[in-house]
Amino acid sequence: MIRIVAAFGLCALSLIPLLWMVATSLKPPAEYVSTSIALWPQDPTLAHYRVLLDSGMWRLGLNSVVVALGTVALSLLAGLPAAYALARFELPRRFDIVFLGFVLVIKLAPPIALAIPLYQVLRALGLLDTHLGLILANQILALPFAIWMLLGFVRDVPYSFEEAAMLDGAGFVKRLLQIVVPLLMPGLVATAVFVAIMSWNEFLFALLFIQTPSKFTLPAFIATLINEDETLWGRLSAMGLIASLPVLLAVGLVRRGLTREVSVDQH
Amino acid sequence: MTASRRLLPWLLLTPALLIFAGLTLYPLGRTLALSLFATDYGFENAKFVGLENFQELWDSRFFRQAVTNTVVFTVVATVLEVAAGLGLALLLNRAFPGRTLVMTLLLAPFVLSTMVVTAIWRAWFHFDLGFLNNLLRAVGIPGVPWLFDPNLALWSIVLVDLWQTAPFAFLIIFAGLRLIPQDVYEAARVDGAGPWRRFRDMTLPLLAPYLFVAALLRSVDSFKLFDKVYAMTGGGPGQATETVSMFVYRQGFRFFDIGLASAAAVVMIVVAGLLAVVYAASLLKGAGR
Repeated sequence: MIRIVAAFGLCALSLIPLLWMVATSLKPPAEYVSTSIALWPQDPTLAHYRVLLDSGMWRLGLNSVVVALGTVALSLLAGLPAAYALARFELPRRFDIVFLGFVLVIKLAPPIALAIPLYQVLRALGLLDTHLGLILANQILALPFAIWMLLGFVRDVPYSFEEAAMLDGAGFVKRLLQIVVPLLMPGLVATAVFVAIMSWNEFLFALLFIQTPSKFTLPAFIATLINEDETLWGRLSAMGLIASLPVLLAVGLVRRGLTREVSVDQH
Repeated sequence: MTASRRLLPWLLLTPALLIFAGLTLYPLGRTLALSLFATDYGFENAKFVGLENFQELWDSRFFRQAVTNTVVFTVVATVLEVAAGLGLALLLNRAFPGRTLVMTLLLAPFVLSTMVVTAIWRAWFHFDLGFLNNLLRAVGIPGVPWLFDPNLALWSIVLVDLWQTAPFAFLIIFAGLRLIPQDVYEAARVDGAGPWRRFRDMTLPLLAPYLFVAALLRSVDSFKLFDKVYAMTGGGPGQATETVSMFVYRQGFRFFDIGLASAAAVVMIVVAGLLAVVYAASLLKGAGR
């Protein structure tokens, strides 16, 4: 019994900051620029959301969507064939071990350490201040993650299914598209959701490689809001909630996948 | 057939290899090379200075402060997060009605954008109007200068990090806890071992590899600390929350001392590489089990 009360109590405690954000987004300024500890608004208002709508700031959400979709597409298109090759083929001279070791180092490396030359690469390619440039930069985080995660999923697909198809004379591409990909679907979806969340929340590269405010992703925009005015908390909370809803919904969907990622890390 | 079969895996690896070569290996090599030059952008007009940038780092009071802060933050945050994760995992190990709901809700802070997390907590830490100080004053305790006091600011950021990432440590440790066979405990109970002894002599040793992985992954992540500091304190007050990532950012993107920034980046890469080796070794050991 104590256990249940403690579990629910801790859970409630950890949700107070989120509750504060929801409530503040609905409060008129007089209620949050105050010393009151009342969480719930007395006089709820949608004014902050209206300001975001009218000023077109919601469009920045589209930037985040475009970058997330691009990052997911590229990391799966490059990551799935790579994971398949690593899982299914004998590669010479322990190439797979070397390659996975390299992927691991990149996965753990601090992004800021590569940011300076990356800035110069993107500038040389004319991709600075473009979403395509940000999508490419995001691959540093997304591709190692996608390969690492998909590798576990590909290994779980029994090779015997493919052998049976081979006896039926199916070519490699047909096998991959008609047998492997459908069986991998749950793994592909889970990987896509994780990469999308990662891209959605990414801040450093967006800060460094995007300069035009109208091209900002949501985290970059929120950073400017934080520093613009110390107590514009209503608008900030409304923006924060808009930026958080998609990922909070996604967590409900992939909670099992989260545990799965952890067990993949254990391989 | 055999020739195409030998080529096929390389063909499949090509897109990933191209991306890694252009966006990771080349930048990595360029960082290493730039760290040996005095330059404000690339190699044009750059002057080769050998290891002087590293000497300058070593002598720099700012860099040493950034390293100290980063190490202190990493160690303290990691220990607290693993401890909190372990506590949560033990608490949720036994089934009860509503457990799935509690677990899902507990994960919420972990998936939020760090910038949203920072926005909430920076408002909470506000000295005059912040929620935390309002609460303290409501019970008669004077307000705390969470982010203004140089001796406190780093701990305030630890608190935010704990709130945001303890769920991640919990996930790993919980996965480990589920794998401990229950008959081990039955045997211990028959032998008359109390709950504390069962925890100390059985749960803890069996969980050790998971605690280790959780600690390692949290340290790797804490070591990169940037977003929260950037938007919460900007490294201040003074140098109190300056981190190595902030140092690289400032030197590279504010002062355009690309050589010095690259040298600091090389130091970070070496540390990350060492942590990756430790991690890889633990994974291989796990695979051999």
